[in-house]
Amino acid sequence: MSGRRVAAITRRLLQQFHRDRRTLALLFGAPLIILGLLGYLLRGGGDVPVMGVVNLDAGPLGAAIASQLERTKTVSASTMSEAAAESKLRSGELAGYVLLQSDFSARGQQSRVISPQIHLEGSQPGLSQTIVQAVNESFAALVGQAGGVRFAPQVMFVYGGPSFDTLDYFGAAFIGLVVFFLVFVITIVAFLRERGQGTLERLMASPLRRGEIVLGYMLGFTVLALVQAVEVLAFCLLVLHVHNAGNVGLIFVLEGLMAIAAVNLGIFLSMFARTEFQAVQFIPLVILPQVLLSGIIFPISTEPGPLTVLSRALPLTYAVEGMRNIMIKGADLSWSSLQLDFGVVLGFCVLVIIAGILTLRRRIA
Amino acid sequence: MAGETYAVEVDRVVKRFGSLRALDGATLRIRRGEVYGLLGPNGAGKTTLIRALVGLVVPDGGTVTVLGRPARNLDVLARVGYMTQQAALYPDLSAEENVAFFAAIHGAHHGVREALEFVELWDRRGSVVSSLSGGMRTRCSLACVLAHKPDLLLLDEPTVGVDPLLRVQLWNRFQRMAADGTSILVSSHVMDEAERCDRLGLIRFGRLLAEGTVPELKGKAGVDRLEDAFLKLSGTGAE
Repeated sequence: MSGRRVAAITRRLLQQFHRDRRTLALLFGAPLIILGLLGYLLRGGGDVPVMGVVNLDAGPLGAAIASQLERTKTVSASTMSEAAAESKLRSGELAGYVLLQSDFSARGQQSRVISPQIHLEGSQPGLSQTIVQAVNESFAALVGQAGGVRFAPQVMFVYGGPSFDTLDYFGAAFIGLVVFFLVFVITIVAFLRERGQGTLERLMASPLRRGEIVLGYMLGFTVLALVQAVEVLAFCLLVLHVHNAGNVGLIFVLEGLMAIAAVNLGIFLSMFARTEFQAVQFIPLVILPQVLLSGIIFPISTEPGPLTVLSRALPLTYAVEGMRNIMIKGADLSWSSLQLDFGVVLGFCVLVIIAGILTLRRRIA
Repeated sequence: MAGETYAVEVDRVVKRFGSLRALDGATLRIRRGEVYGLLGPNGAGKTTLIRALVGLVVPDGGTVTVLGRPARNLDVLARVGYMTQQAALYPDLSAEENVAFFAAIHGAHHGVREALEFVELWDRRGSVVSSLSGGMRTRCSLACVLAHKPDLLLLDEPTVGVDPLLRVQLWNRFQRMAADGTSILVSSHVMDEAERCDRLGLIRFGRLLAEGTVPELKGKAGVDRLEDAFLKLSGTGAE
């Protein structure tokens, strides 16, 4: 083995990287951005579920549990009327509320069983669990005072149910994400290959209009993406049994729109990469922050304020929300929230189609 | 000249890439049905000029007219065949699929077989391009611009990597096509190919230094060999 020959290879590699500033920036910049984002998400936010306390109890027990809940740091609890709590639960402002009935103390003393009603929004199993746990803990803190009382809450769900688990929650978002991600990667690489092998130059020197090239690409990839969407959907619903309370056709349409958006985003972003190697670098720069910020893993409601604004500006946020609205909440197009989700995803599709067409000409120079 | 229509008219075209003037007032005319050779060393501006004809390069100055219409015109491009320097093909498609695709985007539904026979690739029509030799890919690339029977052929160094026998055959066919009315612009830096052209344009530093038939250029330079004529007319004769 020759040390000089090995050194020649090492030196040559470092020289190449020295000239490829973008790769260097990615290598040293992307980890800081991604980890910084993750740190801010996990530590910067008030990531505790917001819950209501409806205390109708005339006795001392209700007031004690209510004040205990308001003091706890694992949830952000505040007292409110039953009507306000129910309305906020439906609108998503509350992850849940606990109802302490008028005979709560009396029944507790008579039967030695405390059974408050816990109403949960239910679409986010993590938040639901935290609320049930917080109510449990507030009871446990009082056990000393109440002596020998059993705790048996009645838990009610608006969406999902007791069997609704983490896979149900993530599954709805991942159905869309998997299609979006894979189609994006395939399109951007295929389009760059078109440029690299010189065929794009030939296409641009032919009577083809720019719109025809983009549309042809879009249709070709969309056909593949839709077949993939059917496969992903069937696997999630039939094999993984991911919870679905909505219309399968509607899920498919939203998946299809995401595929179209991914194809055109790929075509558009291919303009900013010279090689397939550079194209792959878009994954940590474009896809990963979206995955962190679009509510797929961390609920947007628990994000720090400035990141919420950013999340609301990302199209993937609306796609994920739409998927969950359909699959978890059983939303249809009469829901204004789903109309917004579809509207934003559709608008994004149109935007990237236009951007792809307008920038196509510049990329063969 | 009256009533004469040119297939290509390039008038004082300028194209800058940063501080480099790739085309610096280039002017040339290609008659219908002639084989016009654009002769010049690497970096002379040949490819930039051809790309300007199909609208891939937008000039900073001057005018470019192709088949009677200003470039870039989509109707005109349907009647143009542009063969790039690199054999730009889809490597995972067969030779026939490649030719059929380029024919289709030019609006032609026939002519695939004829084009593949012309470049002697009909027997290999089912082979995927990635399995073809370099010369075969060049021939396939040529077939891609022939299937739609263009009125104007722009060939950017078309015979690179082609064996001598096939090169002779291809030139004979170019001349037959020209006789049938097709105008052909061939860029090259190979002198023996240039001798086969009806007229030549000598290009260097983005400017057309001289234009004419081979005997005219030799006469203008007062030499017997085209190579010497080129060196003398481009001001590098002393080298």
